[in-house]
Amino acid sequence: MNAHVSSWLSHRNWILVAVGIPILVALWWAFRPEKLWINEKVSEPAPFASSTDPQPLYTGKLEGKTHQTSGRATIYKAPDGRQYLRLTDFTTSNGPDVHVVLARSDDQSLTQEIVKGQFDSVELGSLKGNQGDQNYDLAATVDVQKYNAVVIYCERFHAVFGLARLEPF
Amino acid sequence: MLSKVKVVMALAALAFTFALQTSARAQDSMKHEDGMQQNDNMKHADAMPQENSGKALETGTFHGKVHSTAGRATIYRGEDGKLILRLTNFKTSNGPDVHVILIAAKDADDDANFLKSSTGRVELGKLKGNEGDQNYEVPTGTDLTKFQTVSIYCERFNANFGAAPLEKF
Repeated sequence: MNAHVSSWLSHRNWILVAVGIPILVALWWAFRPEKLWINEKVSEPAPFASSTDPQPLYTGKLEGKTHQTSGRATIYKAPDGRQYLRLTDFTTSNGPDVHVVLARSDDQSLTQEIVKGQFDSVELGSLKGNQGDQNYDLAATVDVQKYNAVVIYCERFHAVFGLARLEPF
Repeated sequence: MLSKVKVVMALAALAFTFALQTSARAQDSMKHEDGMQQNDNMKHADAMPQENSGKALETGTFHGKVHSTAGRATIYRGEDGKLILRLTNFKTSNGPDVHVILIAAKDADDDANFLKSSTGRVELGKLKGNEGDQNYEVPTGTDLTKFQTVSIYCERFNANFGAAPLEKF
């Protein structure tokens, strides 16, 4: 018997190894610490993808400011490349000279109910109706990443009826 | 020396009990919640040529502080009535035994890392990847008016990585 090996594998050390390894394995299994550094990226196609349908790009919920406003605002891209804003389940109060505009969601003017001074916005048109689903064309040049808020805006009194912050769909 | 061995043995026993218990619990919470299907979201949008593909019923964005989680969760209904949950722009932290579930709650708090065991849940499957777009089948008959939130859920530690409250699209 080799004296060197038998001293390393003495009774006590052998038990420590036999017990310690399962503990380490159990801890590794429970916490899987290596996953902190390993990403698993997947990229599945949309379940009902159809190239003939408009694709939603951004969406957000409308919240009321000076007037109760609710519904959803979504920006779609049609197969031909045209972009448009669509309001669904939409309700706001009726009013004079109400417009739909895009603005920057971090615009200081939007923290107040009444816009004072300069308001950096993109006009999409007069509000077609204060209730119901409606579409508004977007010029191809509009940068939606910059103008990422939909505002229901009364031009006459500079009042923000309602606001939706858009997020990627 | 004997006492040292005993301590080590006790630790090992603890570790294994812990491992067994968590796996048993994981199996427990796999049970499906079946309910009557009642979706009133069938009414068609006016000028949307979306007849060929699935209709987005509900959508919401993820939030999560403990494990930062971001992205969008959307539930689609196909022409065949099948419900599909799709995650887009999705990112969370990798971890052991992470699942996608629907929970019977309006939302989960950012700081509520752990889900209450009494919270009803529907299992949708193991998380396919901690990054990227991915689809999950929702069991037919799932009551979406009851299960209103998507949770990225670590079965092993009953931990909620992130949650997305769903709202009508």
